[in-house]
Amino acid sequence: MRYGAWRAGATMARFRLRRYLIGGSFWALNHCLPLVTGLLLKAVFDRVSGVRPAYATGLALLAALVAAEVGRGAVLWSALAYWPGWLQPLAARIRANLLEAVLRAPGPLAGRLPASAGDAVARFRDDVEDLLWFVDGWVDVAGAVVLTAVALAVMLSISPPVTVAAVVPLVGVLAGTRALGRLVRRAHGRMREQGSSVTDLIADLFAGVLTLKTAGAEERAVERFRARNATRRQAAVRAQLVRNLMSSLSGGAAQVTTGLVLLLAAAAMRDGRFTVGDLALFSAYAASLTNLPRWLGSTLVRQREAGVALGRLARLHPEGRLERVLSPGPFADQPPAGRLRALEVRGLTARHGGSDAGIVDVDLTVPAGALTVVTGPVGSGKSTLVRAVLGLIPVEAGGVWWNGAPVPDPGSFLVPPRVAYAGQVARLFSATVEENLRLGWPAGEEELWAALRLAQLDEDVAAMPLGLATVVGPRGSRLSGGQLQRAAVARALVRAPELLVLDDVSSALDQRTEERLWRALADAGITCLAASHRPAALDHADHVVVLDGGRVVRDRVAG
Amino acid sequence: MKPPKRPHAPARLRRSPWLLVATQVGAERGRLVPLAAALVLSTLLPLVGPRLTAEFVDRATGGAPLDALLGLGAAYLAVAVAGQVAGIAATTAASGAAWRTTNRLREQVAGHAMRLDMGFHGRHTPGEMIERVDGDLLGLTQFISGFVARALSSVLLLAGTLVLVWRVDWRVGGLLAALVALGATVLITAQRRVVPYASAIREETAQMFGAVEERLAAAEEVRANGAARHAVRRFHEAAERVWSADVRFQVRGGAVLAGTNLLFAVGTAVLLGVGILLRQWGVISVGTIVLLFQYAQMVRSPVEDIVGQAKELHEAGAAATRVAALLAERPAVVWRAEPVSLPATGALSLRFAGVTFAYPGDPPVLDGVDLELAAGRTLGVVGRTGSGKTTLARLALRLYDPTAGRVLLGGVDLRDAGREDLRHRARMVTQEVHLFAASVRDNVTLFDERADDAAVERALESVGLLRWLRALPDGLDTRLGAGGTGLSAGEAQLVALARVFLADPGLVVLDEASSRLDAATEMAVRAATARLLAGRTAIVIAHRLATLVGVDEVAVVEAGRIVEHGPRSALVRDDASRFARLLEGVG
Repeated sequence: MRYGAWRAGATMARFRLRRYLIGGSFWALNHCLPLVTGLLLKAVFDRVSGVRPAYATGLALLAALVAAEVGRGAVLWSALAYWPGWLQPLAARIRANLLEAVLRAPGPLAGRLPASAGDAVARFRDDVEDLLWFVDGWVDVAGAVVLTAVALAVMLSISPPVTVAAVVPLVGVLAGTRALGRLVRRAHGRMREQGSSVTDLIADLFAGVLTLKTAGAEERAVERFRARNATRRQAAVRAQLVRNLMSSLSGGAAQVTTGLVLLLAAAAMRDGRFTVGDLALFSAYAASLTNLPRWLGSTLVRQREAGVALGRLARLHPEGRLERVLSPGPFADQPPAGRLRALEVRGLTARHGGSDAGIVDVDLTVPAGALTVVTGPVGSGKSTLVRAVLGLIPVEAGGVWWNGAPVPDPGSFLVPPRVAYAGQVARLFSATVEENLRLGWPAGEEELWAALRLAQLDEDVAAMPLGLATVVGPRGSRLSGGQLQRAAVARALVRAPELLVLDDVSSALDQRTEERLWRALADAGITCLAASHRPAALDHADHVVVLDGGRVVRDRVAG
Repeated sequence: MKPPKRPHAPARLRRSPWLLVATQVGAERGRLVPLAAALVLSTLLPLVGPRLTAEFVDRATGGAPLDALLGLGAAYLAVAVAGQVAGIAATTAASGAAWRTTNRLREQVAGHAMRLDMGFHGRHTPGEMIERVDGDLLGLTQFISGFVARALSSVLLLAGTLVLVWRVDWRVGGLLAALVALGATVLITAQRRVVPYASAIREETAQMFGAVEERLAAAEEVRANGAARHAVRRFHEAAERVWSADVRFQVRGGAVLAGTNLLFAVGTAVLLGVGILLRQWGVISVGTIVLLFQYAQMVRSPVEDIVGQAKELHEAGAAATRVAALLAERPAVVWRAEPVSLPATGALSLRFAGVTFAYPGDPPVLDGVDLELAAGRTLGVVGRTGSGKTTLARLALRLYDPTAGRVLLGGVDLRDAGREDLRHRARMVTQEVHLFAASVRDNVTLFDERADDAAVERALESVGLLRWLRALPDGLDTRLGAGGTGLSAGEAQLVALARVFLADPGLVVLDEASSRLDAATEMAVRAATARLLAGRTAIVIAHRLATLVGVDEVAVVEAGRIVEHGPRSALVRDDASRFARLLEGVG
């Protein structure tokens, strides 16, 4: 059954139901308090026009008016200050669950994430925001419903026929909002298209500016630019017009209501059946009544956007189980480590978009304590093999055997402390060296330095101003390509894995460092599966597997 | 060779950037009248409403005939609707005026920027130019339309309200004015206090999502290193910081909002009180109290709008300054007002007389170059990267002026020539061919509306692309570039040659294309080039020595000087010549 926006919203509201209800009450109260002001205004004006018997002095009434406003202010402030207590933890929970699902759920990672990390963050940020915005609006609708109900009740008790005057424009607003809503969306879309068209032209003209200059075509190009600007202007002004119509609906509705009230109440006012105070009340309520149609329209828009957001978020979560987004999924925990005797790959076939054509029917054994190097020309499938073994990309056929037992889901099984990995592109995070190495792994400082020594990075870190506490990564100190690669290797080594998997980790290193790295890895007796074409790696390898066109063409054990 | 990037001092502004904007707005003159009318109406009409209700109240309580009351009610409705219509008209017209104004500025900026030297374009990517030509101006567009629609109309509305209230009773008028002043002051100071807390939320949120992006970009490493739990934990910590920042902001921002509400509400209550007193003293009627009450409620929005616009003024000012700074940059090459004409037809002779050229602050790229090329002859220029070959080409087309010496085309010093004339009689085929996202016609004529299709087809035929053209779905109208029909590297080069064919210049500078072509395409391009260069003076900047087979003369450039120049055949036969030695080196 489809997990629609309403069900998702209900689950979200239930997340911290008490806070939602308390905060919602504040907001609903905030919506409704103008009712009190209206009644007080009625009292004031009745007193002033001497129509009603004076049941309170004018001063007292004004004081009550001020007190009501103070109360309104207090309620609004409370609502604003309290609300983050519901909204923020919910937002954090959803995003954390999504993050955990992306990073830990079973199955291959590739294909789950959208094309760029930037797109993925947009999902995290904007799509979750759309979901929250939807549920956020419910309390306002509730408040507006209560407001409208009470207001109409009060107005009916004063004069039913005049109340009709108030209701008619509202229906108009609701209908108008729906109709205009579609127009607004279309006009807005068109304006954005035209905007892109203009910026594309600018980029094009300036990319080809040399061509234009040498042909003296600058003015002609500007003429084209002018034409496109004109089209864009029309689209923008049209969008503005439609938006103005939309906001005019609610703005005008209150005034139209007042006008209709004047017309319908004229006779009654002459006869004294409808007082000045009543007029003041109806006028004040007229503005409040436009809230409900506006909030209803807005909620429908948000519901549509939330539905779209849910669809996009579902693609991030494995099996598209979105209910799990709102409550943490029971992902497999750290597996207990056992000594590795051998890792076998049998008939592994995997194709993944990219420079590699893929691998076909690969058989290979990684014996314990040995350095196994997978090599071959560019595009032969070395990287694909390594990533397929680790379950990072979808596998078409074949599998991985750990100590003779088949591994059903390598992505969840082949993780620390069994396996650790350093990928082709070494990426560090904006954090201290220490944190980058640990990433939550309980390792002591001794173990960190041991890993750094093995990865040939200890001298570099010792030379850094704050050593292990130096902040590196995209927003920290820049490390050279070689330092990044060694850091990624050190990070994997910290986990003291049974099997170390490396993908092309020495391409940025100078010859001497590279030589030392591979020697250290070979001498340490670590079971290692490395994809590399570097001579230094091949020199120290105990076991070399050659790939070509995705197939194993040679498999030899070094003497 | 591209000019090296160096720090560039921006041109200083002598006048306020707002003058620039105002000039363009002034150009709107004719259209401003209906805009002004709509603006005035949209502020006057709302002011009429309370008068009508006041009148209505007094008459209704005074026992006026029903017709009169109904008339007033109808009038109120009419005025309300008319006010809304006028408001929509005013805002829409303001938007139109803003877009027209800024579009003119966009065109001015784009045209100006395109005419700047290649040095400028080397320093600024097309992406940056989008920001300068469109991004800054978008901000201005929004500001101008907002300024007119909201700030101006708010000022008018406020002024009108205060005047009308003052006319009713000076005491109430004074009170309302005080309320407005107080409200504005509170809003300005309070908003300024709150801004750092809003920034703090943005900062914490940016860090939180920044960390998420890093983890997602490295998702495979995170996963395969068991670091997912840690990533989630860190995320929770960052989210808590966002939560705290949000609460801190809401508490303060909420106080400002609630406080402002309270201020205006209390002010209105006080006004009411004064009104009641005046009624008791018999100065005003009940209807007038209703009037005053309604006017008091009408001052809050305008005050908020004006304060809001004042904030945007600052940002828009920064944008206007950037635009003005760009317009203040001057191209180094200045064309004579009364130029000397180049020979109108036929091949042109080219002469470099003692030409020295250096980019500002750099050592000379060309040093004392003397070169003479008779009309109709083809010269091949060879030399290592950085020897000055490309600079020769740029100087021949007056993309730069030499620091010393003269360049003469057809006997005319380029400094005396006219820009259009030169651009028509001397053309370059660039190293990288740029195809615009436009029709085939536009790509060959380079947006020239005057060229007729027959001429374009002849040009395409001359390069051997006629059959390709006939095979296209929309012929000359077929769109090229991203999203349109793709061209192979060879076809692109042929289009570049077709551009020059169409122009029929007397001098062609050919900067050899860098893309590698397969043998067949290479031959087609070579044939088309030979046809193009026939009967024209040409300079061929060769990056591959094989290109020089068809040239008449060869010049070898080394460290900014011509170290050898002579007929190609002679240099090839002379084993001692540098050219011959270069050829051997390759072979």
